[in-house]
Amino acid sequence: MRDYWLSKLFFDLQSSAPLGDEYRANRKKILDRYPLKPEVRTAVERDDVAFLAPRVNPYLLRFYFVVAGMSEADFLKKVRTAGADAAARSSHG
Amino acid sequence: MASLAGVFASSHAPLIIRGWKDVKSANQRELTSSLTELGRRIKAARPEVLIEISPDHWVNFFINNLPSICVGVGDEHEGPAEPWMKDFPFKKIAGHPKLANHIVQTALERDFEPSVSHHLTLDHGFCIPLWRGGLDPLPPIIPIIFNDLEPPYPSVRRCLQWGAMLAEAVRTYPADIRVAILATGGLSHSIGEPTMGEIDEPFDRECIRHFEKGEERPLIDFLNERLPTIGNGAAEIRNWVAAHGAAGGRGFELIGYCNCPEVYVGCGFASWDVAARA
Repeated sequence: MRDYWLSKLFFDLQSSAPLGDEYRANRKKILDRYPLKPEVRTAVERDDVAFLAPRVNPYLLRFYFVVAGMSEADFLKKVRTAGADAAARSSHG
Repeated sequence: MASLAGVFASSHAPLIIRGWKDVKSANQRELTSSLTELGRRIKAARPEVLIEISPDHWVNFFINNLPSICVGVGDEHEGPAEPWMKDFPFKKIAGHPKLANHIVQTALERDFEPSVSHHLTLDHGFCIPLWRGGLDPLPPIIPIIFNDLEPPYPSVRRCLQWGAMLAEAVRTYPADIRVAILATGGLSHSIGEPTMGEIDEPFDRECIRHFEKGEERPLIDFLNERLPTIGNGAAEIRNWVAAHGAAGGRGFELIGYCNCPEVYVGCGFASWDVAARA
């Protein structure tokens, strides 16, 4: 299930370089413009890839973390760990 | 009447542009050779209009309005918006509204209901094969966006039928012009998923074998079974399926295949011999 406002945040950030600059300079100011659910906002603030991944298109997820300034190596590590954790949860019913 | 002068397919991995220096030299040579040959074949077909089928990578559409298939009917399109595509030589790209509208009308008569856009931005999916294939000047482009990025996707069967309809639209267009089709995307890759970076070369090779054999049902069954099991980027093979349908399911020839982990994509390049079409 997609989270609409999370998706909209990621979409807007990857669509506008100036907005991306502004976001890197002051995340709170940009996040305040979007009606994110509290748990979603917390996950964004914590760069919680595992929480965010099922709620947004994978391409947007990847674009977002490029804009947010996460290194490719770090993103790969986090998204793969998220997958492994999800698989482990699934295998335990 | 217009004629179908050629049908082609190409991968469009972004890292071919923005990560080129990190691509191993052997893979650089392989990719350059394939893209150059692709461009040579397109130029040899002498298209006066090029229909391109590619996904939209969140440039034109969002989940508030996400068409399955959209035909660009504008007289001009924007060049790529991605900052790393800034050196692409064309900021504006001519369209061909008359043929584009004929395609839409033909689609409606054949029970397809495509969306239309009078002004599209053509992202890297459209532009990398044109750029690295050395197409300069560009013929007018009719962009057709297939939703390969966000489920629900158009079915493989409908993509094949869309391609056949597209060929019919070209052949019934009442002007003596040469038209080519270029489908872009695929083959196997995974973006933003836990499997990101994985390339399934056995899948790609099997897929290529199905295109070479040309039999519709086994191709559809194979893709219906396997696409949900591999990386999300392989959804773009739907575009190749449409090209295959346009070529009448015959004459597929692999130009090159490069399993290139540096660009995260099993890169494929192909053409169909349209003279072989039944």
